[in-house]
Amino acid sequence: MSSAVGLGAIKVTRGAPIGEALAGLMLTVPAGLAYLVMLLLPTMATILLAFTDYELGLPDWNWIGLGNFTEMFEDRGFGVALRNTIIYVGFVTPLSILLGLGIALLIESGIRGRATFRAIFFLPVVSLTVAMAAAWQYLLHPTIGPLNGLLRAIGVSSPPYWLSSSDWVLLSLSAIGIWENIGYNMVLFLAGLTAIPRELYHAAEVDGTKTWLDRFRLVTWPLLGPTTLFVLTITMIRSIRVFDTVAVLTQGGPNKASEVLLHTMYKEGFTFLRLGYSAAITLVFLVMVLGLVWLQTKALDKRVHYG
Amino acid sequence: MKPFTRRTLMGVSAAALAAPQVRAQANVEIAVHYAQPQIFKESYDAIAAEFARREPGVTVRFITTPNYEEGNQLILRQAATNQLPDLSYQGFNRLRVFAERGIAQDLAPLLSREGDPAAHGYTPGILALGHFGGMQSGLAYAASNAISYYNTDLLRRVGANPDPAAFPKTWDEVIALSARIRALGDGTEGMWFQWPGDDWMFSALLFSHGARMLTPDERDVGFAGPEGLSSLRILRRMVTEGGMPQLNGTTALQAFAAGKLGMRFGSTAFLRNMMTSVGRNFEMQTALLPVIDPVNGRLPTGGAAGMLTARDPAKREAAWKFLRFSTGAEGTSLMVKNTGYVPTNQIAIDDPRYLSEFYRENPLFKTATMQVGRMVPWYAFPGTNSVRVTEVMVNNMARVVEGTATPEAALADMASEVRRLLPRRG
Repeated sequence: MSSAVGLGAIKVTRGAPIGEALAGLMLTVPAGLAYLVMLLLPTMATILLAFTDYELGLPDWNWIGLGNFTEMFEDRGFGVALRNTIIYVGFVTPLSILLGLGIALLIESGIRGRATFRAIFFLPVVSLTVAMAAAWQYLLHPTIGPLNGLLRAIGVSSPPYWLSSSDWVLLSLSAIGIWENIGYNMVLFLAGLTAIPRELYHAAEVDGTKTWLDRFRLVTWPLLGPTTLFVLTITMIRSIRVFDTVAVLTQGGPNKASEVLLHTMYKEGFTFLRLGYSAAITLVFLVMVLGLVWLQTKALDKRVHYG
Repeated sequence: MKPFTRRTLMGVSAAALAAPQVRAQANVEIAVHYAQPQIFKESYDAIAAEFARREPGVTVRFITTPNYEEGNQLILRQAATNQLPDLSYQGFNRLRVFAERGIAQDLAPLLSREGDPAAHGYTPGILALGHFGGMQSGLAYAASNAISYYNTDLLRRVGANPDPAAFPKTWDEVIALSARIRALGDGTEGMWFQWPGDDWMFSALLFSHGARMLTPDERDVGFAGPEGLSSLRILRRMVTEGGMPQLNGTTALQAFAAGKLGMRFGSTAFLRNMMTSVGRNFEMQTALLPVIDPVNGRLPTGGAAGMLTARDPAKREAAWKFLRFSTGAEGTSLMVKNTGYVPTNQIAIDDPRYLSEFYRENPLFKTATMQVGRMVPWYAFPGTNSVRVTEVMVNNMARVVEGTATPEAALADMASEVRRLLPRRG
């Protein structure tokens, strides 16, 4: 008897939520479908392709297992691209984070023209990289560029070929990458700064902090922890992705001195038409990015949360 | 068999109606692909307009890609998905891929339908430009060779004669002149040789020694001998003695247009573009490319050829008509007047009705035509690694230019790396 009543009660209480859950499920269908078609299926296709020797335009292809990956380890081009990408990330990430933080602090402590400075430093983020690359090409032009004009005027007899010498090209591209990323990092840090409660600064003052450096060291920097971690990951991912400036300005040259991962992937796939090998490089890239995201969530869970 | 529109079909005589297939293909639309619209658009538009008057039953729809490489990809992709255009104009050295993959159709039977090809201006030399994979895989539409461009103002300032006839005939003289121009200072550079991008200009040096890229049986490299070494040594001396700066195609063009570069060595195809960007800044002249072996020296031919890809018989016939018209004497003349290229139809070259007036009024365009006798096909490497071979050569040239490898070492590496990329045969 009592069990029957109980069952009935369950039916009643569950009835409404099932309809709700169904409606909720229906509402996620468009997004789910888009995710499946635009992201999940292409990714699966790429993973499958990475184990074949498929070439665009050739009728037949074979499963070659790990063939693409073993080739990758012997391929000087891939090695150079990986090394260059790591160097590029090594330059761009710390410098654009430090400079972004510095600018954010300066703007935050400023009294006038905050909006103006914010807009000025954010401009590189909203401008089209390809168009900006053309401007950089002119600025860094070896013979008619303003930078080398200036260097000549102050007595440097043969200024560097910024974008066409293997000694300088990676540095020049990194400088452009830093310029691109500063604004983005600055905005993220500004958001982080406004979230710090004012009372903490007052409390610190009561406790005897005198200098600007103390306030930064004891209050600002620790409380910016989560923001900094996010900025660090996002900047690393953004700089691993470097492609447009390389494609427009150097095409990986001279002699692979500015070859980077994504450009190698593009060239293998769309110039050499070796889609299988290109997919394998994409997979390596994907693993690197996922690894960074995983590290971020791990660290976020553990240490830097002050919520 | 001429296709007709419905209107002409109704209007014209019973003689036309007597041809039974004609009614079925009243109006045919063909898709035609070409690359580099920034260079070629005017020429194709002019040809299409004239073609429309001749063949009112055929509608031409153009598809373009910014460059040859992307055009190459487009056709390979569309071949995989069965969406090929009916006709595609591809770079000479990329035709081989399509011939070897069975995408391009053999044009020899269509040509022989009309009798002797030479009678229509398709001499053996011109046909050879589109002969790959053992068949007539394309018909040359536009051809180019490398020439010298120079800034007459800068030559005058160092006391050199700016007349094209007096321009240096050897690389030794060019390198010496370059050093003198560079000594003017203020960021002025003497010369730039267009070595990056592809193997075309290396071919120009190599072929002008009378050497070949590969041995005739294509089993081994042909550039690793003394001619190849001499070519790389000249490239090195351009830097060490001539002070050649490290530029790329774009920055060199900008420096030249700004009057900061004395001499530039590259394809005649850029002529229209260069005339536009130089404008009235200074007086530009063109001269023959210095040759190394005046008897056996040759030059590679750049440019594009049309290849037939249509399967549908009616479209195939219409596409062939367009290809035939665009490469015939009239089409070629229209192409020449609207670009900087050399004509690829012997009738357009020989018959004064077509181009003599144009060349009289535009003497800068004439330089490339004076080198036609030296032109041989741009070498297309066999097998699937052809683009990679090109890259190996460019990278080793970069080492020579930057001085990170001696010409001897770079040539040896170039040879061993290219050998690895050639197809293996029993």
